[in-house]
Amino acid sequence: MKIKNLFYIAILISTLFMLQACSSPALDDYSDVQFELTDQNGELVTFPDDFEGSPVVMGFIYTHCPDICSFITSNVKKVYEEIDNPSDTKFLLVTFDPERDTPEVLKNYAQAFDMDREPFHFLTGDSETIDRFMERVSVRVQESYSREVESGDRMYFLNHTDKILLINKNSELIFDYGGSMTPVNIITEDLQKLL
Amino acid sequence: MKYLTTFLFITLLAIGCAGESDTEQQSAEFSGEGVEVEGAWARPASEGRMSAAYFLISNFNDSDDQLIGVESDVAQLVEIHESYEREEGMMGMREVPEVDLPSQSTVRFQQGGLHIMLIQVTRTLADGDTFELTLHFDNSESQTIEVPVRL
Ligand SMILES: [Cu+2]
Repeated sequence: MKIKNLFYIAILISTLFMLQACSSPALDDYSDVQFELTDQNGELVTFPDDFEGSPVVMGFIYTHCPDICSFITSNVKKVYEEIDNPSDTKFLLVTFDPERDTPEVLKNYAQAFDMDREPFHFLTGDSETIDRFMERVSVRVQESYSREVESGDRMYFLNHTDKILLINKNSELIFDYGGSMTPVNIITEDLQKLL
Repeated sequence: MKYLTTFLFITLLAIGCAGESDTEQQSAEFSGEGVEVEGAWARPASEGRMSAAYFLISNFNDSDDQLIGVESDVAQLVEIHESYEREEGMMGMREVPEVDLPSQSTVRFQQGGLHIMLIQVTRTLADGDTFELTLHFDNSESQTIEVPVRL
């Protein structure tokens, strides 16, 4: 297990060096897009316009997923806790399950993680907008199995891309990490360079 | 030199794959009796939502065993699950009917791997709360453990 982690770190470090060698480090530029989303308080939020001028750490989740997605959420929180001057950075968690993850559900979820506060934003939207958003950030989602629960309802689970993105003040995508797999300190170090 | 690098790379890959298992063969300092469960914890969740529980199970017996079921009144459904990578960067979750507990080894339930899935918790689980979870084994007696909830 430890050797495997070292191996990941080695690959990440070499990727870092390769990226630094390039003249333009941006993997994508979101400044020309506009996604109308809603946060956990029911407030309208536009990505990336409302976050321009701040670095952004963004994870993708659905709240019916207590293992991988909780891991992503707590990693985003850990990045916040570990950086020296986090006040300027925005931390976003965007659901890819907007039908069930309403603002109220996201608010409860945020409270469970003690993240229902600045600078954290839990975002949802209408299905069409979320679909377009996920396509743009290359998050793939597919329904997997489902369970019948006591109420007789069918509860479904999703297979999904596991990622956290680091975006700079100009809405450019700088890094794309495995959300639950990447050691938090690697994200923290990259973020520190953007502050 | 080029071949050596390639060889090293492949060796590293092979070691990486070998490290995939959640089961650890123990050597020195591994002592205890029977099947022991330790380091349990679970995620906070509000009523009706999902949580996951984690722990280590060590089998000190001379014979292999299996975890064959879990039970708790803290959730509508309690299942043994594992998260796994379906394809490049794509994560999924599936039910595991039983988990092998080889003799003299420890199995790790941890984030991103094996977990106890708590579907629709019957009460809000806040940081600092505890609940009971009963584990059923193939060869050993069932055990009820106290699981603390933490962030
Ligand atoms: Cu699960």
